Amino acid sequence: MYAYTDFDRQFVHARAAQFRDQLERHLAGQLPDDDFRALRLQNGWYIQRHAPMLRIAVPYGVLDSRQLRQLARIAREHDRGYGHFTTRQNLQFNWIPLPQSADVMDLLADVDMHGIQTSGNCIRNITSDVTAGVAADELIDPRPYAEVLRQWSTLHPEFAFLPRKFKIAISGAKEDRAAIAWHDIGLQLRRNEAGEIGFQVFVGGGMGRTPIIGQEINAFVPWQHILLYLEAIVRTYNRFGRRDNMYKARIKILVKAEGQAYFDAVNAEYQAILADDAGSHEQIIPEAELARVAASFVEPQGVTPVPGVDIFEGAAPAYRRWLERNVHAHRVSGYRSVTLSLKRLGLPPGDITDAQMDAAAALSDQFSHGELRVSHDQNLLLPWVRESDLPALFAAAKEHGFATPNIGLLTDMIVCPGGDFCALANARSIPVAAEITERFQDLDELWDIGDIDLHISGCINSCGHHHSGHIGVLGVDKDGSEWYQITLGGSDGSTLSGAAVPGKVIGPSFAADEAADAVEAVIATYRREREAGERFLQTVRRIGLDAFKQATNGIRRTTAKPTTD
Amino acid sequence: MKFVSKAQDPWHTCAGEDGPQPHPAAADHKLLTLEQWHAVRDTWPEGLATGVILPNDVDVLDLKADLPRLQLVVLQFPKWVDGRAYSQAHVLRSRLRYAGEVRAIGEVLVDMLPLLQRCGVDAVQMRGDQNQEAAERALGFFPGHYQADVNETRPLFARAGSGGAAGRKAEA
Repeated sequence: MYAYTDFDRQFVHARAAQFRDQLERHLAGQLPDDDFRALRLQNGWYIQRHAPMLRIAVPYGVLDSRQLRQLARIAREHDRGYGHFTTRQNLQFNWIPLPQSADVMDLLADVDMHGIQTSGNCIRNITSDVTAGVAADELIDPRPYAEVLRQWSTLHPEFAFLPRKFKIAISGAKEDRAAIAWHDIGLQLRRNEAGEIGFQVFVGGGMGRTPIIGQEINAFVPWQHILLYLEAIVRTYNRFGRRDNMYKARIKILVKAEGQAYFDAVNAEYQAILADDAGSHEQIIPEAELARVAASFVEPQGVTPVPGVDIFEGAAPAYRRWLERNVHAHRVSGYRSVTLSLKRLGLPPGDITDAQMDAAAALSDQFSHGELRVSHDQNLLLPWVRESDLPALFAAAKEHGFATPNIGLLTDMIVCPGGDFCALANARSIPVAAEITERFQDLDELWDIGDIDLHISGCINSCGHHHSGHIGVLGVDKDGSEWYQITLGGSDGSTLSGAAVPGKVIGPSFAADEAADAVEAVIATYRREREAGERFLQTVRRIGLDAFKQATNGIRRTTAKPTTD
Repeated sequence: MKFVSKAQDPWHTCAGEDGPQPHPAAADHKLLTLEQWHAVRDTWPEGLATGVILPNDVDVLDLKADLPRLQLVVLQFPKWVDGRAYSQAHVLRSRLRYAGEVRAIGEVLVDMLPLLQRCGVDAVQMRGDQNQEAAERALGFFPGHYQADVNETRPLFARAGSGGAAGRKAEA
C-alpha cells in the first residue's frame, strides 16, 4: 500500500492540529454550531441520533494491520467496541463524544489516517475496485492513480465548498467492481490503440432521489492530463451547479439539464487551462511521480508466482462452499484473494467489533502480508493469500465469525445504518436486514437462490445503494411511521447485473411488519418462475414486474386494500 | 493577508437613496457595482483608483479588458459555504494574471482564510464576529499542500527538494 512520506505524515498531523483548534474554539463558544458544522463534516464528524458519528477515510479501501489495530483501539477506548464499514469503503464510529474528537484525530494521524473530506460538499474519499492490484482480470492497476487523485483532491482550495458532495470512483479491470457509472465522476483506466494509458471519463452519475447513470464525457484522457481534466469538470460544476435546492445540487442534475452544453463547457475549460493558466503544465503528472507512487504498490516481499493447485480437490462440503463464494481469482499464480464476510446472524451488515478488528489484523499478518481491503459491499478482503494457506485461513476465519460462505448471495446484503443511528434516515434498515438474514439461514436455499444483490437504504440519500440492488429496499416516512418501498431490477454495472440502471418500484410501500415478507415473496416468485439456470435478475427482466407485484400484494396485511363485498 | 476593517477602508460604494447611483462622479477609491462600472468606464479618465464588486455568478473572463484599470476586485460570499467565488479568484489570478487586490467580503469566516489565500484572495473583510488572531493562526497550520495554487503554481510532485517526485522519498 501507499507508504506515507514525511510530508504526508506532517500533513495529517497538521490537519489534526487544525481540527483541535476548531474544536476548542467551538467548545469555548467562539465557533457557533452553524459555522462549526461544515468544518467538522469535512473531517468526518456528523452529529447523529446518539452522539457524533465519525467517518474515517480508507483511501480506495486499502488498509493495513497496524491501522486496523488502531481502529480497534479507538473502538475500545473511545466508542462502544464496534465500527461499521460503509459502501464508500470507509469506517464509521457511532458513539465517540465530541470533546474526545481531537484526541481521536491524533490517534488516527499516528497511523497515517484521517477523516479528511469524508463528508461535506467536497471531493470525497476516492473509491476503487476491492481487488485492485490483485484481480485476475485487471488491465491496469488503479491504485497509483487513485493515490495521485487522493493527493490532488485533499484540501483542494478551490473545491472545498461545491454545490454538493462529489464522489469519484476508479476501475482498472475488465469487470467494474466499483460501480463507476453511479458516481459523479467514474474513471475507467484503458489503453488506446497506440497502447498508451488513459481514462475513459464518465460524469453525472448518482443515486439519491433522482437516480441517474453517468455519461461518457471523454473516451480517452491521457493519464498525465487527468488532474487538468478533473479540474475542468469540477470548476464548471462549481460555477454552474445549482445551489438553490440541495436536492438538485448534484452534478447529475447539471449534466442532465445541460447535456452536451455542459460537456462542451468542460472541454473548453480544459483547453483554456492548458493554454492560459499559470503553471498548468506543471500539473501534468510526470512519469517520475507515477513511478514514485507506484513503487508503493509493488507486490509485497515474498509474493512470487508458484504453481497453482486445484483448491477444490478433496474439499469437504462446508470448505468447498467457502472456496466457491469467498475465495477469488488472483493475477499471481498460486495466490487468491479472500473475503472475510461481515454478513452474519446477530450483527448488522458491515459491523465489526474491536475484537474482530484485532482478529482480522492478525489474519492479515499471518496470511496476507499485513494488508486488507474494505469492499464497497461492506466486507473485508485479504488480497495476498497463498492457495496452500486456504485451509488454515478457513479454520481461523470461522473461529472469528468471518467465514459465512455467502459472498454475492442474498444475505451478503448492502445495508446503511438506518434509523437506529442516522439522523437523516426515515426508517430503520438493520431490523429489516436482520429479519431477512434470519429467514435465509439455510445454505442450500441460499445457494439455490444464487447470485443476487439485496440493497437496503433507510432513506432516499441511498447510502445502502437501493437503486442498484437487484432487490432494493428503501425506507420512507409517512405520518411518522416506517414504510418500505421495494424496487426490482437495479444494477451496479457489473457483468452479472448488466449495464447500470436503477430498479423499478413494484407498488405502494409496505408496512414495517411486511417488508421481510415482501422480500421473501419476491424470492419465492423467482424460484417458481425461473427457467433452468436463470438468475434472479434474468427472470425479472424476462417476465417483468407483474408476477412480483401480485405475489407481494398477496402478503399485505397492514397495507391490504379493504375488500368491498 | 490584509485584514480590512470597514471603518478604515478607503474604498466606498456609491449608493444613493434608491440603491446604487446609476452614474457616479469620477473619483479615486470608488467601489462600483458591475453596472456602475459599465456605465462609467467609457467616460471616466484612465488612472483613477477604481474597484468593482462582483456577484459570485459573474464570469470573470468578461472583465478581461477592464482589469488593467481596476485596482480592486471584490468577491462576495453571501453564505460562507457558497464556494463560487473561490473559482472566480482562481481564474482572476491564474488565467487573467490580475495583479491588483482581490478582496473577499460577506460571510467571510476565520477558517476560510487558508483556502482564500491559496485561490489568490489577498484581502478580507471578515464577518463582524470573527477573531483576527484565530484567523492568523488558521493560516499557519500546514507545512505545504499537495496541489498547486495561485501562489505556488507547482504541485508537490513538481517541487524538487521540497517533497516532489525528485525530492521526496518514502520511508522504508
